[in-house]
Amino acid sequence: MKNIPFMGLSKRFFTISLVIIAVILLASLVLGVELDVQFKGGSIISYSYEGDLDKDAFAGAARELTGANLSIQASTDIATGRNTMVLTMPGTKSLTGEEMAAVTEGLRERFPNNNLSTLSINNVNATMGAEFLAKCLTAVAVASLLMVIYVAFRFRRIGGWSAGVMGVVALIHDVIVVYGVFVLLRIPLNGNFIAVVLTILGYSLNDTIVIYDRIRENKKLLGDKMSLSDLVDLSINQSFRRTLNTTITTVLAMVVVTVVAFLYNVESIITFSGPMILGLISGVYSSICIAGPLWVRWRNYRDARA
Amino acid sequence: MRKVGKPVFFVVVSLIALLIILSFVGIHWQYGDITTTYIKGAKDIRWGIDIRGGVDVTFSPPEGYDASPEDISKAQAIIETRLINLNITDYEIYPDMERDRIIVRFPWKSDEADFNPEKAIRELGDTAMLTFREGAEVDANGKPTGVTENIILTGDDVESAEYVYGTLTENGPPKHFVSLKFKDSGKQAFADATERLMGSQISIWMDDEMISAPRVNAHITDGQAVIEGQFTAASAAELARKIQGGALPFKLTTENYSTISPSLGEGAKNAMVLAGVIAYLLVGAYMIWQYRLPGMVACISLAGQIGLMIAAITGFFGFVPSFTLTLPGIAGIILSIGFGVDASVITAERIKEEMAIGKTIDGAIVAGYSRAFTAIFDGNITVIIVSLILMGSFGPPNSILAKALKPVFFMFGPTTAGAIYSFGYTLLVGVVANFIMGIFAARLMLRSLCRFRPFRKAWLYGGEK
Repeated sequence: MKNIPFMGLSKRFFTISLVIIAVILLASLVLGVELDVQFKGGSIISYSYEGDLDKDAFAGAARELTGANLSIQASTDIATGRNTMVLTMPGTKSLTGEEMAAVTEGLRERFPNNNLSTLSINNVNATMGAEFLAKCLTAVAVASLLMVIYVAFRFRRIGGWSAGVMGVVALIHDVIVVYGVFVLLRIPLNGNFIAVVLTILGYSLNDTIVIYDRIRENKKLLGDKMSLSDLVDLSINQSFRRTLNTTITTVLAMVVVTVVAFLYNVESIITFSGPMILGLISGVYSSICIAGPLWVRWRNYRDARA
Repeated sequence: MRKVGKPVFFVVVSLIALLIILSFVGIHWQYGDITTTYIKGAKDIRWGIDIRGGVDVTFSPPEGYDASPEDISKAQAIIETRLINLNITDYEIYPDMERDRIIVRFPWKSDEADFNPEKAIRELGDTAMLTFREGAEVDANGKPTGVTENIILTGDDVESAEYVYGTLTENGPPKHFVSLKFKDSGKQAFADATERLMGSQISIWMDDEMISAPRVNAHITDGQAVIEGQFTAASAAELARKIQGGALPFKLTTENYSTISPSLGEGAKNAMVLAGVIAYLLVGAYMIWQYRLPGMVACISLAGQIGLMIAAITGFFGFVPSFTLTLPGIAGIILSIGFGVDASVITAERIKEEMAIGKTIDGAIVAGYSRAFTAIFDGNITVIIVSLILMGSFGPPNSILAKALKPVFFMFGPTTAGAIYSFGYTLLVGVVANFIMGIFAARLMLRSLCRFRPFRKAWLYGGEK
């Protein structure tokens, strides 16, 4: 396989990444960011029903029972043929257990022939939702910090701290991309977002570590005979086939999961595996094209100043 | 380096095969009607409520009420009693003393097709203030009015309430009734009331709902009474349960809960299992196509890794409790299998490189594994860091990990998101299994296989044909 001059192309990579990040930030300003009920609080109830059910009549009855201007979505599951009605309370309004029971009983009385049954309820108090989000973000921050410390320690031979920090720059890049996928696909940020972010952090850092590992090894073998720029280029190219094959297999697995989840209409899995695919690709890209080249530039910049 | 014997491959493969069979099928011994489980199989996995359906609810005292830790413990005990009364034994309950919350999670009862989650949540939390009141006068809304506003006793004064089927008088017919016993604190008040209200009613209220209004037939001084009437076994038992469980000093509110029906989760489970099988076959085919013999070994070690993970989730041995597997938990399994594949890819690439610089097959395998090790090791350790953080911050509040992380997460209550905890657990187990299978077992298998004549061909290891 021909060597790819990653270092030579680094300016192009940086530009591409900056443009993507700018688009995502702009998009989230324009489109707005939606938080899931899990984080912002609120109430979503879904009922399954049989036979014909008039959506407007159902909506009217539900509005009357809750006294709120809620929105209704009707859908049919392709795989099972089940009909569902999903009620969403406006804003962050949630219902108490008693109110919820009264709504369900009221709807059953009004639509006795449709055999209504509760499929799922998601009712979250706004304060507790905000606390859950804060806790998730803290977990992400703490995990990242510990990973930087670990990388700094293991790669102290090749200037651990700067390597660790550049690894984290690549991670931030990936988190922004995952965030962008949620924003652009209009998926509200939920627990899956946190799970994807954590997964990508682990994956992307793993990719970066494989490259750093090769740099560490080559440094030991070649010493200072080679310039840093060439050393990094060589290391990325040597580990390139591994990077490619690992990415192909993991993306392949995630595509299978997404397709099957789509056929079964399991939304909770699609919103996990879909963004994951793009996150995986971003993780590989950022490790090869951002972390390594950026690190070389930083080291050269520092050496030039000293 | 010492050579690995030819039989080693067969030993390792049979051990892996045994592990997979045991972890999927388990060992059960049936004697008459009783099944004893020695080794748990895949069907003994405890599925999370997001898969098999169930209820996740957070109870808290009304706004503005500052509950003491004793109050919360008491509320927890009451909820536990009520859960058992509802015949739910497979529950998880986490009290949060600092934030005055109680988190309860329980699965859908499998034998009950028509389980009503709203009703269960309401029964657990909302029926809390038990009072015995004078008379049985209600206003238009069914609320107590007039003399009935006078409270004689509260649930605090009740020692016990039991459902009994038996005779009340010596030769009378057997009946269903509720036997009540009051604490010393309530004996005097009850004696006074039964004397004063002889022939009229004493009503029993659960919050603003009158659950019974028996007529006083005797002056009771010893604090022991019975409620009789047109009871069936079920209605008498329900009344006894309400009286028994009702001694909570405050009302519990539930603004935070979710339920999911089993039919919804079942589809997700089947989808994930199907996706897992397809993904394994595709990835396996790709690995063999790319790496030939090392790819073949990777398929076996991956299967072993999956077997180990299933064993860790079921608890394997009959006496070890199994782990609750949620949807994110399954995602964790898939992810760690990804790490398993990565370990095989890194190693196979290294072996190929060593072959390319002209090493012998044995030399290339030994060098390939040792060179690949640091990268695999560092990558997997970082994943372990992530999984430990997740387990500590979202797991049960009294675990060692949670305590170690307390200084970091001090401002958050144990708002345990069981789903995310499950992700951390399967990831951790998966990475450990990867060390055992992907590195140790795979190396043994390859070094043993390469001694067989048909496998002594360079192209099988990525060399020239």
